[in-house]
Amino acid sequence: MTSITTQTITFKVFRFNTETDYLPAYKEYQMEVTSEEVVLDILNRIKWEFDGSFSYRRSCRHGICGACAVKVNGKGVLACKERMNDIIELFGNELTIEPVSLKRAVKDMIVDKADFWEKHDAVKPYLVADIDEHPEQESLVTPEQAEALLEADLCIQCGLCHYSCPAIEENDEFFGPAAFAAAYRFNADVRDEGTKERLDVVNQMGAGVWDCVKCFECAEVCPKEVNPIEKITKLHNQVFEYGRAPNNVAVRHAVGFAHSIKKHGLLDEGELVRYSEGNLGVLKHVPVAIQMYKKGKIVLPWNMPKSDKLDEIKKLVKISSTVKF
Amino acid sequence: MGIPIYTYDAVIVGAGLAGTAAARELEKAGKKVAVITKLHPLRSHSGAAQGGINAALSDEDSIELHEFDTVKGADYLADQDVVELMCKEAPETIRWAERMGAAFSRNEDGTIAQRPFGGQSSPRACYAKDRTGLTLLQTIYEQALREGVDFWDEWYAADIIYKDGKVSGVVAFNIRNLEYAIFNARAVMFATGGYARSYKINSNAHANTGDGLSIVARHGLPLEDMEFVQFHPSGLSGNGVLISEAARGEGGRLLNSKGERFMEKYAPNKLELASRDVVSRAIINEIREGRGVGPRKDAVYIDLVHLGKDLIMERLPELRDLAITFLGLDMVKEPILISATAHYSMGGIPMDKDGHVRKNNTEFVEGFYAAGECSCSSVHGANRLGANSVLEALFFGRHVGQSMINDLNEGIELRKATQEDADRTIDEVNVTLNRNGTDTVPKLREELQQSMTDNAGVFRTEETLVQQVEILKELRRRFHENCRIDDKSKIFNTDLQEAIELGHMLDFSLFIVESALARKESRGAHFREDYNTRDDENFLKHTMAYMDKNGDITLDYMDVTLGKHELKERTY
Repeated sequence: MTSITTQTITFKVFRFNTETDYLPAYKEYQMEVTSEEVVLDILNRIKWEFDGSFSYRRSCRHGICGACAVKVNGKGVLACKERMNDIIELFGNELTIEPVSLKRAVKDMIVDKADFWEKHDAVKPYLVADIDEHPEQESLVTPEQAEALLEADLCIQCGLCHYSCPAIEENDEFFGPAAFAAAYRFNADVRDEGTKERLDVVNQMGAGVWDCVKCFECAEVCPKEVNPIEKITKLHNQVFEYGRAPNNVAVRHAVGFAHSIKKHGLLDEGELVRYSEGNLGVLKHVPVAIQMYKKGKIVLPWNMPKSDKLDEIKKLVKISSTVKF
Repeated sequence: MGIPIYTYDAVIVGAGLAGTAAARELEKAGKKVAVITKLHPLRSHSGAAQGGINAALSDEDSIELHEFDTVKGADYLADQDVVELMCKEAPETIRWAERMGAAFSRNEDGTIAQRPFGGQSSPRACYAKDRTGLTLLQTIYEQALREGVDFWDEWYAADIIYKDGKVSGVVAFNIRNLEYAIFNARAVMFATGGYARSYKINSNAHANTGDGLSIVARHGLPLEDMEFVQFHPSGLSGNGVLISEAARGEGGRLLNSKGERFMEKYAPNKLELASRDVVSRAIINEIREGRGVGPRKDAVYIDLVHLGKDLIMERLPELRDLAITFLGLDMVKEPILISATAHYSMGGIPMDKDGHVRKNNTEFVEGFYAAGECSCSSVHGANRLGANSVLEALFFGRHVGQSMINDLNEGIELRKATQEDADRTIDEVNVTLNRNGTDTVPKLREELQQSMTDNAGVFRTEETLVQQVEILKELRRRFHENCRIDDKSKIFNTDLQEAIELGHMLDFSLFIVESALARKESRGAHFREDYNTRDDENFLKHTMAYMDKNGDITLDYMDVTLGKHELKERTY
């Protein structure tokens, strides 16, 4: 940093107060932005220089307390960790600042995060163990065992992944990536004795890990690089490793998928549906299946081809499988 | 409809390490406990602690050495009985947190890893990479949640109910909708954090406005040793965000504009790992004498390049990230810009070693406790050692929680709260909401912070301090007569909250300045250019400051508890 530069930026900012407003409005603020500033500095300047009623959550101002998540041009950011220069480079000189979830907005950038905390609290986000209240020695944990947490303990509960997750948008019950990362953090801890109970929570139909749509948005948006989807995948495996997989459609879908790959080296979509939903359940999908057949998307069961690299795929499946179904 | 009155055995204000640790102990002992916090507990500033937490765990170290380093670091103003207690209990405290799930960095044999820190005879700081506070805060919160503690998050504790020498509750409002409530309790604990936010360049969170201190002081109760504000040597240039002492602990070198490793002049033995006050003064001196660097020449370099990428990524990943975010500088490739930043409050609400809040030098307030950075026990004396604050918060939080359990078991009567107990708070809120004028909160706050940095900062003189007393009185007058806020609504009125917080900052800042003005010596973090040596004969004593009804400060002094570590000249 040899010199400080400035640029003129126009901000369109979401303004709303549940007490007085029926609908939100976008107000414009123009200011000179310096190369030293982050998004939080802009929020502060709107409040301190333009309108004291502008409200947002913030505290630590250096990316560790997780309070100040917002969206800039639809991109979820932790306001205090996002350099204005980077944002301007990405989106140009007109920027829209909004809360992380419009439908949960209470006042300006502040959203009602009750759903986030309820889900966080529901996954038993604490070490389950008998605590020695007067220990003379710490538990011994090797550096390798400590690494198994895969930085899940760095999650600061900012909620960016939660409010960027399309599965949550569609499904109110879904725990969401942050809660799953928390569940993984304790399941991966050698000192923890609550893995099975926790798996039974995160393995529920509808709310649990099987409803993840694997879009990777959570990994993309996380300001601490916690990579929640990686933890969700680990939880999928743990469900089998610990023998907690019930015989339900979600689990059968995963198992059927693996069977198909092992057998054909390819996905047999028809068989997957039959395996997941059973001989009767599959009937309701017949109209879709006929459509797909007509478009050449699926083949008749007896015509299912096999990959010409099936031997290699079988080897891959064998060496990469960590769990038995 | 009246204001709801909730009744608890214990009410704790502040959900950082100290408050949450106490709450967990109380809940586990079967007490009904509430924690009130203006943030969510996990947003508390304890989570920002980076470098470590001290305990003499290794064979090469000893509890006595830890005590000695703490007392010497404190420039002998620490109460040695309290230091002894904390250092003795440090190993168990850390292992207890570990057993609850804290994700410490580990040695190959599985034990907790430790690193060197400033002013210490041995590598003593247990750490979790460079986010020690985060793992501890999360762990304590998680276990408190597991026990079923009632957390009242985004509630603003505005006042205590204090009558006839006894505290019997807290008056608070819900930040979401400005609804009031009275928390009536047999025992109340303040764990409200520090007060460095009154300086322009500081490392503290926006929330660290020291509300708890002036809430107490406005009832005529004393604040102890308020002149001792620690300036941390390494805040990022421009915004003061902390670069942990771990950066120096791991081998970082300080360089001036001539490329000189200037600590050789100021602390030839310990160099960069001298105690914080010594290093901060050295940095400010280099800048004052024209050897600063950076676009404003208001910083020095800390060079970590020689540590190599692997070590930086393994042990200091968050710090690297911070420098990239705020300075655009990558410490793996180039030195970064730092300068002294107001960081930690040694002074605070006076308490004995079991957390009982003092009414004066000899008496205590019934049913009132304090712990953590808002308190003064005094374990840090005139200057705190790195990695002792997290220890203080965690140990005293737990210990004072246990002390409250004992007192509750022995019997503290509940004095029933009445609706009138909330009057003061409702008045304060209404006046703040409705006052008209031409001054604004950001304007007054900016003037406060800038003038505190200029006049009551790293270097102080009679002249600057006298001037600052006048500035503060004038700012306070403008605040009370002429400060208006824009927001009149009830929903998340952060404008109102910032105004109330500014009122607190103005009040406790006067304690800092008046206490500093009267202390005509230099000791630890308090450096008077006009009295630049320590004066044990006249000032080996704690300041006890009181605010009267007119807002003026009167000063008294209290003896320091000495012990086996004898007074010596302090060199590094």
